Amino acid sequence: MRSTWKVGGLLGVLTLGVLLASPHDAAAQARPPVKAAAAPAAPAGAAVEAVLTSAPDVPPPLTRRDPAKVVVHLEVREVDLEISDGVMYTFWTFGGQVPGKFIRVRQGDTVEFHLQNHPDNKMPHNIDLHAVTGPGGGATSSFTAPGHESQFTFRALNPGLYVYHCATAPVGMHIANGMYGLILVEPPQGLSKVDREFYVMQGDFYTVGSYREKGAQPFDMQKAIDEKATYVLFNGSEGALVGDKALKAKVGDRIRMFVGNGGPNLVSSFHVIGEIFDRVYTEGGSRYQENVQTTLIPAGGSAIVEFKAEVPGTYIIVDHSIFRTFNKGALGMLRVEGAEDKLVYSGKEVDADYLSEKAGPPSTAVASAVTALEKGTLDIKTQTAAGEMLFKGTCSVCHQTTGQGLPNVFPPLAKSDFLMANKQRSIEIVLKGLNGPVTVNGKTFNSVMPPMSQLRDDEVANILTYVRNAWGNKGEQVTAAEVTATRSKIKLPPGAAH
Amino acid sequence: MRAVVLSLAIVLAGGSAFAAAPGGMARVGPGSLRPLYAPDSGTTAIDVRAFELARVPVTNREFLAFVQSHPEWRRDRVAHVFADDGYLRHWVQPDELGAGVDPDQPVTQVSWFAAKAYCAAQGQRLPTEAEWELAAAAGDTSADGSTEAGIRERILAWYGRPAGARLDAVGHGTANYWGVYDLNTLVWEWVLDFNGTLVSGDSRSGASADRMQFCGAGALAAGDKQDYASFMRLAFRGSLEARYTTSSLGFRCARDVVGP
Amino acid sequence: MKALRLLTGCAALLLALGGTGTTGLAQHVHPAAPPSAAPARSQSLYALSATLSDQDGRSVGLDLFRGHPVLISMFYASCPDACPLLIARIQRIEADLSPRERANLRVVLVSLDPERDTPEALQALARARGLDESRWRLMRASDDTVREIAAALGIKYRRLPDGSFNHSSVLTLLDRSGVVQARVDGLGRPYADLLKRLRAAAAP
Repeated sequence: MRSTWKVGGLLGVLTLGVLLASPHDAAAQARPPVKAAAAPAAPAGAAVEAVLTSAPDVPPPLTRRDPAKVVVHLEVREVDLEISDGVMYTFWTFGGQVPGKFIRVRQGDTVEFHLQNHPDNKMPHNIDLHAVTGPGGGATSSFTAPGHESQFTFRALNPGLYVYHCATAPVGMHIANGMYGLILVEPPQGLSKVDREFYVMQGDFYTVGSYREKGAQPFDMQKAIDEKATYVLFNGSEGALVGDKALKAKVGDRIRMFVGNGGPNLVSSFHVIGEIFDRVYTEGGSRYQENVQTTLIPAGGSAIVEFKAEVPGTYIIVDHSIFRTFNKGALGMLRVEGAEDKLVYSGKEVDADYLSEKAGPPSTAVASAVTALEKGTLDIKTQTAAGEMLFKGTCSVCHQTTGQGLPNVFPPLAKSDFLMANKQRSIEIVLKGLNGPVTVNGKTFNSVMPPMSQLRDDEVANILTYVRNAWGNKGEQVTAAEVTATRSKIKLPPGAAH
Repeated sequence: MRAVVLSLAIVLAGGSAFAAAPGGMARVGPGSLRPLYAPDSGTTAIDVRAFELARVPVTNREFLAFVQSHPEWRRDRVAHVFADDGYLRHWVQPDELGAGVDPDQPVTQVSWFAAKAYCAAQGQRLPTEAEWELAAAAGDTSADGSTEAGIRERILAWYGRPAGARLDAVGHGTANYWGVYDLNTLVWEWVLDFNGTLVSGDSRSGASADRMQFCGAGALAAGDKQDYASFMRLAFRGSLEARYTTSSLGFRCARDVVGP
Repeated sequence: MKALRLLTGCAALLLALGGTGTTGLAQHVHPAAPPSAAPARSQSLYALSATLSDQDGRSVGLDLFRGHPVLISMFYASCPDACPLLIARIQRIEADLSPRERANLRVVLVSLDPERDTPEALQALARARGLDESRWRLMRASDDTVREIAAALGIKYRRLPDGSFNHSSVLTLLDRSGVVQARVDGLGRPYADLLKRLRAAAAP
């Protein structure tokens, strides 16, 4: 919760408590680990220098179980970098890159924050960390001229993934130039273990020139006010997460992404093509939603997404306000390597001709059979070939191309005792369908097979010839005449047309 | 008399390169300024009397002459209260520029106290914020640059460029309406009352003044919200203490109008 | 715990590091000069050799209390809110001291408003607030000197058209040599650290 300046007094008392408690390190270490709901304990042990990383890397998970005094040194640098191929932009950065360094602390930590403004910088800067409870999130206490350093101390009261950014006038310009990053405050028990963690932060950028117009591009204040972004990017440049800079993982990895949105203006519809987020800690908070395709990340907000890499391939990271991806650069890549798993994703299985019933010339095998029947030269081989084609379009939906059926659902045809026992019965079943329990190869099935009323007699004959001779079945020919005769004898169920 | 002698010494020390840059003072104003942060709700304009302003910022060469004749302002002698550890750090020696420093560049890494002392030594003073802003508000052809296309963009473009780039020598751009150079495109500049702007370190606090921090009327209503350059100058001044120096911060002198 | 040691360290260490002071919760740290920094660069505020006049109209230097710890700030007599609070705050700090420490302490308040804060006005204020005038001096000076003292103390101020002032409230502690030991920026801020250093500076 953000607070008024009056909390400054409270914070002062807390800081005082820290200062007074510090000599008693041994006593603090003897205390049991703190539960999230209990009053925050004084930091234990010696002060720790925070490990800061540049995106997309994340500092390792914290192993300490008690709150500590953590010292952060963060340097502001104004630098010229490529925002897109051949396009230069003057970024104002926390740590030399956009987004700024990732800071990882624990709930209850006392953070001694040093903001350093490099002497070669032109502008004053400060920092507002959304993790800070206190005036301006630290901005009032960190206003720093170039060549100077400010220090302030805060206690990380709440767990979560928080944005930090510069708040010096004009604030929108400082943010638009890239002055944002993430600070993670781990809960006392830490986060669940995953195999890979990544740091991705989206931002919108405004240049005088148009998208990909080459050369040094200055910031365009009017476009920023009108919210007409020239670039929408992950991690500050168009190539940041593409090609050999793509994020990398292995099949089977549990992946966690700490995703931020620095804005300044646009909300992100964050999505990874081909993946579903098993968990999303919406807005970087403490509760998660499950099975999410696309999650909204507010400007100045964050989300934690978790998913498992099941299948190898390149997964495209996008803002699903999709013109931003294809026309403004909001595109990143996650490359997953490892063994394929066709059950989860087979890749393309069939590239078959699609013939609707009324479509043009039938497939060759089927056409040959029709011609042969007319001529009276139909042999078992031609019938089988035609039957196979026709089987694939119709029967295989349930009985499968392998004839295996589906256990407990659709009976097999391959080596089926029920099928092969009675030819006449198999013709009848194709014509009028089958309800009720049947036992096939010792297993009982109780499903519904509809009448194949769309098939002509010769088609039925071809299919049955194929079926009764495929997959190791040792059967015989079924003729069109037999089917015709059977049809005239049996009573077709109502609605079965022909 | 001392001022005359010192001015002469400065001119003599300059040589031909100095003569190329426009020297002397330009007459600015009188005029009326729209304050960015009005000191109270009643003030919509600040009247500025005519005054004289140096055409260009003080150069390395000029400041060197001052330090040589006022050794208490050498970086190895100056009191801590007057200058921080960055003071004149770009000179090779406390009393020598060195080959890497162009004598005609605006002197930077100077504190408010140092700038003030320099101007006093010339029989001059620092301009007030209102005087400086009035001079800087001008465009190329009129006293109010906001009416001229492209002026704001040009200024913002300077603010967007990092300080690492080598500074130009003074006076090489175009003079503005008042005949003054380099006000918005070379270095930040000290003003006499730089510590007259009561804004907190958090630039978003805006209109409501914290009475426990700032005593007084406390009505801070930003005047022209479109004037980003002024916002940035305001923010920059607010981050400074009198002893601070930076690589982009220099100064020029002013004086009251002499004669009719 | 290096940083905490710094805050609780002795004055000598602070001197070597350039006389930085705490400012309430924020600390402006200047790049630390090595302990062997040239002693020729004075650390004292009294390098600003200003001439003022006190509530008795006597001409005095800014360093009139050299040899004593000094609390110094700025105010103006007709200030409605902050300045009475500032005086009250200093009085509360005094009350926290032992009689001997208090006897050692001096207070210097410089007026932002030399035009209206005449010696008579300053005397009236001193009497009205019951100030111990043997240790409290209320001063006035030229506009230029006022500007320099405010700049040196980090106090922001601006005169308004109606004659009142916008100004910040910064209370600064100087040691016996005039070196800044602590700064508290804002009247609501805790001053425990300043108090601790005041005691250290007031010790014989």
